[in-house]
Amino acid sequence: MGDDMITEGMLDMFIFETEQGLENLENICLDSKDVGEFDDDHVNEIFRIMHTIKGASAVMMYQNITTLSHKLEDVFYYIRENHPENIPHAELLDYIFEVSDFISGELEKIKDGSETDGNADDLIAQLDTYLKKIQKVNGGDAKQDAAQTEAKPVSAPSEKPHFYIAPVASDASRFYSIYITYNKDTEMANIKAYIAVNALKGIAEDILFTPADIISNPESANVVLEFGFKIALQTTAEADEIMELVNSSAGIEHVEINECTSEEFIAFCTEAEAPISTAGEVLMGPVEQPSVLVESQKPKTIALTDEEKAQEDKKEAEPAKAPAKRPAKKKPVAKKGETQSFISVNIKKMDLLMDLIGELVIAEAVVLQNPDLKVPGLDLTNFQKSAAQLSKITSELQDAIMAMRMMPLKNTFQKMNRIVYDTSKKLGKDIELEVIGEDTEVDKNIIEHISDPLMHLIRNSVDHGIESNEKRAELGKTEKGKIVLEAKNEGGQVWISVSDNGKGLKRDEILEKAKANGLLGNRSEKDFTDKEVYNFITLPGFSTKKQVTEYSGRGVGMDVVVKNIQEVGGMLDIESEEGKGSTMTMKIPLTLAIIDGIIFSVSGTSFVTATNTVTEFIRVTNDQLITEPDGEEYVMIRQDCYPLIRLNHFYHLKNGKEEMEDGIVIILNHEDRKIAIFVDELVGEQEIVVKPMPAYIKKVRGISGCTQLGDGSISLILDIAGLVSE
Amino acid sequence: MEEETILNDGVEEEKEEFMTFKCCDEVYGISLDYVSEIIGLQQYTSVPETDDYIKGLINLRGKIIPVIDVRIRFGQEPLEYNDRTSVIVIQVKETIIGLIVDGIEGVVAVAKKNILPPPSVSSLAVQSRKYVFGIGRVGSEVKLLLEPDKLIHDIEEETVSEEEVE
Amino acid sequence: MRILIAEDDFASRKFMLKFLSKYGECDVTVDGMEAVDAYIMALDADMPYDLVCLDIMMPTLDGYQALKAIRDIEKDRKLPEEQCSKIIMTTALNEGANVNKAFDLGCVAYAGKPIDQAKFENVLRKLDLIS
Repeated sequence: MGDDMITEGMLDMFIFETEQGLENLENICLDSKDVGEFDDDHVNEIFRIMHTIKGASAVMMYQNITTLSHKLEDVFYYIRENHPENIPHAELLDYIFEVSDFISGELEKIKDGSETDGNADDLIAQLDTYLKKIQKVNGGDAKQDAAQTEAKPVSAPSEKPHFYIAPVASDASRFYSIYITYNKDTEMANIKAYIAVNALKGIAEDILFTPADIISNPESANVVLEFGFKIALQTTAEADEIMELVNSSAGIEHVEINECTSEEFIAFCTEAEAPISTAGEVLMGPVEQPSVLVESQKPKTIALTDEEKAQEDKKEAEPAKAPAKRPAKKKPVAKKGETQSFISVNIKKMDLLMDLIGELVIAEAVVLQNPDLKVPGLDLTNFQKSAAQLSKITSELQDAIMAMRMMPLKNTFQKMNRIVYDTSKKLGKDIELEVIGEDTEVDKNIIEHISDPLMHLIRNSVDHGIESNEKRAELGKTEKGKIVLEAKNEGGQVWISVSDNGKGLKRDEILEKAKANGLLGNRSEKDFTDKEVYNFITLPGFSTKKQVTEYSGRGVGMDVVVKNIQEVGGMLDIESEEGKGSTMTMKIPLTLAIIDGIIFSVSGTSFVTATNTVTEFIRVTNDQLITEPDGEEYVMIRQDCYPLIRLNHFYHLKNGKEEMEDGIVIILNHEDRKIAIFVDELVGEQEIVVKPMPAYIKKVRGISGCTQLGDGSISLILDIAGLVSE
Repeated sequence: MEEETILNDGVEEEKEEFMTFKCCDEVYGISLDYVSEIIGLQQYTSVPETDDYIKGLINLRGKIIPVIDVRIRFGQEPLEYNDRTSVIVIQVKETIIGLIVDGIEGVVAVAKKNILPPPSVSSLAVQSRKYVFGIGRVGSEVKLLLEPDKLIHDIEEETVSEEEVE
Repeated sequence: MRILIAEDDFASRKFMLKFLSKYGECDVTVDGMEAVDAYIMALDADMPYDLVCLDIMMPTLDGYQALKAIRDIEKDRKLPEEQCSKIIMTTALNEGANVNKAFDLGCVAYAGKPIDQAKFENVLRKLDLIS
């Protein structure tokens, strides 16, 4: 065995379908949570889901999943057939979630290639008890019901049991290219080469070699001598082991073993398929005949004789005949497709495309801003026309790739449903979650970054925001505890807000704590706006909750949330009314990758800031400058006073402009504040491709990344949040 | 470091190749395994608030990489860059970085047996000694062999000293 | 029990033979055509196989064709279901479509290569072929 390729299509499909089923299941359960019962459609759907999972897992031979899903299916079979009254719904939901969690856990193990060794016996016993209980409560003859449940066909009669035996997992397999040269005087080098191949067959998952006709064609000996012998090998073995196996035969001059990627491996296969021997021999025969045995031992994957080849051509309709076999290793498990016609694309390919388009945008700028064009007297009319066309296409291309990367927030939001359910249940609070705008789309990278902060905000609301049921009654709050999770598009940004109707933030308490921590400076408490006060809770180590619970307040607090949001260029906005509730809004850019930027320079260093953060540029005079005794500076522009940051001072850059008249002031918008920065000169505006700072450079305050400009030089991306947090 | 890598032809004695460059009147060597390419110094963008030996960022065919001045790294006075100034682009694990050096000398092969541990006490400039893993003897010349990982990454505090050999 | 193995790759064949010999008498063929021939011969001799293991990628007649042929012969001869052989496909083609196609054609199990012996035995047990 072994010269065949493992693809895990069947397994992937099982995992994919089961995950979808479970997701569906959870959604139904969460929907029904407040209703307090399942309607007929739900019951049917859950029954169907469990039935499918049961069937599929039986085929795949995951016994524990089969038994468990079978048991839950029994419960719903009973509910469907007997319409029992007064089933303890919450209890049932708990069991369903436990079943779902158990199966998800096992699926994870399957994905990792480890044993599905979870034990569901307890859960099955509980479900059994539960089933008996509802049978009893509903007065039905428990025995008869039970008998009925038992008697029900295990599966629809038309279905014969099927089994799928998944191949032995071999995730750790690697690809090697092996190059062997033989001493020129070696006799029968082809046979020697074949011995090497044969030695490797014991460890090979797939093996290909060239020349491929070493056995059938004695002439190949010369080819081997002249060009060497190449083997491509897929195996879990280490290079040492391979070397030992290969190097055992005589006449070997040199052996080279290199680990290669699956792509190189495939390339090798394609290459190796080309030469096909002309030696037509007896194809197959009884095993006992040794002469034929050698022939049949030939790996059919590549060593096709003409006769075989001919047969193959005849059977073109047959899927995946030998040459079509490809190592489809480690393909990503497709996730959560919608029902429309979608294809799943490896995210790496998307990222590559994104990068390439980024390069294209830069290259375009390089061409269109080329200094050669600035020669006086050039007639550029036609050039400009073509250039405009090019710009149009590149910008459409950018939009297209952006659109491809956009994903609805649906999945992220659905996860929150479960979190509210679990957390509120454990805390004994009665909380309802309303979700608005779950179809809003955000760049995939951003989604990955906001999931954690969002979860944290939700937990905060459940835990700290909303009062306990008793407290609410005491306060005379009649309505149920409620959290609204809302997403909407707002001027190039996505706003995701979590609002609750709980107790809100206590300004006094926060101020007191801030004072104790020495955060107030010399300003009086009254001077602080509510927003400023609320922002204190986003500082590290600042938590007003005295009691630490399982869900929040474990030291990772709002500061981590804010940091996460800032990482994707977003910000957190807090609104609150004491006694009425609070709203936390994450304001996040739609995309990270390509933004419009204003370029300016300070002391010879070039900086960029996102165009949408710039309110205006203005040249001011020294008399508009106000200097406080502590050295802080402000500029007065049309009756408004803005705090001023001189970037050259901020970054200790030498030779920056000092006189207001010489440089220029840029007014930047950050959250609800405006700040002024003083720079040497404006350079221009350009679409920029955001790149991270090389990891080697430590984090510099106020700089979030870097980018390449049209002329190839590098500019630093200014991060206003980082500037003002100083 | 690389004691056991490298070709075991068995016939020739084991050698390791080094890219050598001049810096502060010494010749240093860096294993060719790390070196990706040599480029001339190009316009760089300095990054504020970084250590002074980090000169800034350059654009290496669309890839943005940091460049460091080896001279300053060794605690020496910087030289004005001239047309001999070169950048050795090295890759150490995931990090790609450019080393600004006074000038490239060439590639030398040093026999393994001619690589000696660095003298323990201050016969070398203290500053660069901690980046040197060995001394390679080629004929009558001596090359100071650098450990790139240490060169680019900070290990503990830096003591500044202006001592020099010879 | 009587077992028929159809497998064109020598190494796989040797493996299957070694693996299944302990459960009964094994006949070995190297392509689908031979497998069908062997199957008919066994029926004629009134010694049908209890278990047939078919590789899918085989010369002359592939596993699917052999599977279909065997099921057609059974139908033609109006064999009662309990007398029909249990057929297990053994193959490296593990895409869902292939598996389902085989199921549709009437195989009882589908084993991906490299074969998981424990699971394979498990299936034999479930099929009441071994105890």
